[in-house]
Amino acid sequence: MKRIRGIGAVAFAGVAVLALSGCQQGSTSSGSDGAEGDAVTLQFQSLSDQPATQAAVKSIVDEWNAENEDVQVEIVQAGWDGTFDKLITQFSGGTAPDIIHYEASSIVSFAADGYLADLSDYIDPDLKSDISEGIWDSVTQDGQIIAYPSTLQSYMVFANADLLEAAGVEIPSGETMTWEELQEIAKATTTDSTYGLGWGLASPTAAMMSLSLGFDGGFFDGEGTDASIQVEDSELAVPERIHEMAYTDKSIEPTSLTQSGSDVLASFYGGKVAMTVQGSFQATNIANDAPEGLNWVALPPLEGSAGAVQAANPQTYSVNVDSEYVEESADFLNFLMNGDNLASIAYADALIPSSGAARDGVETLAADDPAWTQVLASGEGLEGPPFLKVEKYTEWKDTIATPAYQQYLADKITSDELAARLSDGWNDVAG
Amino acid sequence: MITRRPWYGTALMYAALAGFLVFLGFPLLWLLSASFKSSGELNSLAINLLPAEWDFSNYASALARQNLLPAAGNSLLVSLATMVITVLLSMPMAYALARLKGRLRAAGTVWILTSQVFPSILIIIPLFLVLRSINLNDTLFGLILVYVTFTLPFTLWMLQGYVAAIPADLEEAGEMDGASRFTILRRIVLPLLAPGLVATAMFTFVSAWNEFFLALVLLQSPELYTLPIALRSFLGAEGQTQLGPLAAGAILATIPSLIIFTILQKKLTGGMLAGAVKG
Repeated sequence: MKRIRGIGAVAFAGVAVLALSGCQQGSTSSGSDGAEGDAVTLQFQSLSDQPATQAAVKSIVDEWNAENEDVQVEIVQAGWDGTFDKLITQFSGGTAPDIIHYEASSIVSFAADGYLADLSDYIDPDLKSDISEGIWDSVTQDGQIIAYPSTLQSYMVFANADLLEAAGVEIPSGETMTWEELQEIAKATTTDSTYGLGWGLASPTAAMMSLSLGFDGGFFDGEGTDASIQVEDSELAVPERIHEMAYTDKSIEPTSLTQSGSDVLASFYGGKVAMTVQGSFQATNIANDAPEGLNWVALPPLEGSAGAVQAANPQTYSVNVDSEYVEESADFLNFLMNGDNLASIAYADALIPSSGAARDGVETLAADDPAWTQVLASGEGLEGPPFLKVEKYTEWKDTIATPAYQQYLADKITSDELAARLSDGWNDVAG
Repeated sequence: MITRRPWYGTALMYAALAGFLVFLGFPLLWLLSASFKSSGELNSLAINLLPAEWDFSNYASALARQNLLPAAGNSLLVSLATMVITVLLSMPMAYALARLKGRLRAAGTVWILTSQVFPSILIIIPLFLVLRSINLNDTLFGLILVYVTFTLPFTLWMLQGYVAAIPADLEEAGEMDGASRFTILRRIVLPLLAPGLVATAMFTFVSAWNEFFLALVLLQSPELYTLPIALRSFLGAEGQTQLGPLAAGAILATIPSLIIFTILQKKLTGGMLAGAVKG
């Protein structure tokens, strides 16, 4: 009977906590009226995950709340992982927050379904003119601006200066660096114990789509569900170069092609690769984690035949179309996006801010950090890519493009087969 | 006549057992080690089982930053409640399923199997709408109900196997001694079913403890987040992972599970039926 009593005790405890759980109700409810009666509370679902960024966002919200007693903002902290599914459910169930933090490529389908408010009439004119048309283009669907573009990342090359010098290579110091230069440096720095380049391409599509713009490789024509795809020389330029470096020059560490960007950093720190291509945000991580004595530099932005162009896929702030307080939400976002505020968020996240004023602010904040010079320079060539206008891009990327690129980079299929898979796959997805 | 196992047989058995323990325990050991490593060491090529320098800041940042303790409390509450309700509901149902004959039993079996077919993502939006209509979305109680619904079919299936293993002769013997159906259940079946109940309880607890997707979608208030949601917040945009704090958080998240298992595993003793019925 002791056995039964033990189980009974656990059962009793369970019933007790169950009773308690019935009393627990969440606090999130969109656009609620405050206790003051006239005060409005806006729900702001923030995905900022770095402690410094969370602190920056909180500081901005606190400042707003202190100055605007009638419109209070409440941060609802969420994480990036699983956000798409969460938002689908929130929108379907009518419980989405007023203000939504996400990224341009992922909000296209929400915009297509009519869940996001058109912010064209609410955006501060000074802010509007301070952000490039290319970046605004990345958050414009059917002529409607569906989000404020906040921060962006570019792909950058980080190099171990000592290994380059040991190989007799002059460190590029121009405004840009061509792919040919990258290929030459990678070859020159490849030895018996070191590879010239480590590139984490476990999830290759984003990098391919972004860097292909440097060769005029836009992939898509048209918008929404009517978009068509073309995969020709300009679209294949980047994967073919990487393939050539990996299998002809043998200057890319083969294992790195199957790793994430962060995984490759260990090889970079350990002197096993002379260079690594990373998201620009890694500059801060490298500064923090690189072993003492590692003489690392950020190289100039990569330039293709069409220039040092990359895709702008910014993080975004949108407003729920069903919010009763679209105007108030936009007012808050205009405040959040002012130069100083956006600079503090971008600097904390080690990302490139979308506006000129915020970039100036980051330059001031990062005055003693030379890597930031190149990070900000790489942001100059960011343009809204065609894929952001394509409704089923995310599905195509996950189900077609990523496995096709992975197979090509593993030397399992030819570039012609890659092109066919990308094209045929799109036609299947788009129906 | 009992033949003694040769010494090398025993040695092999212990070696296999030790190997199995290492296989199971190494990931946990590595996780523990990672939780005390600095960011620089975690991002280096050095493979040290023990940290080069013990760094406790991962625990500090895990506890301070990601609201882990309240999330652990929520997870514990939800998991225990799910476990208790599921076990209480599945016990009589499993007995009926195992002992009754006829169409109802067949229908019950079909229901159990059918309910396992649908992936949760398929029904998440209707589920969300239903919960919202009864004001149970964004509540732990609503999440518990959903977990019970999802775990009940399998636990029922599991438990009815345990019931079926109890010889009906024992119940018949009780009946002949004049015991009522309820007395038979309470005095004979329930004690013999204890290991099965514990196994079922453990399965239910772990299922609820580890569940991520439903909690992610159904809970919107940060103060109600469960541990898996809190831990996932260590994964950032662009695939960034804060490995040290994540490892520290995962270690902290493992502790309640270990305590529950330590309490329950003692009850998981087999061989209770030995000698109950003559062959």
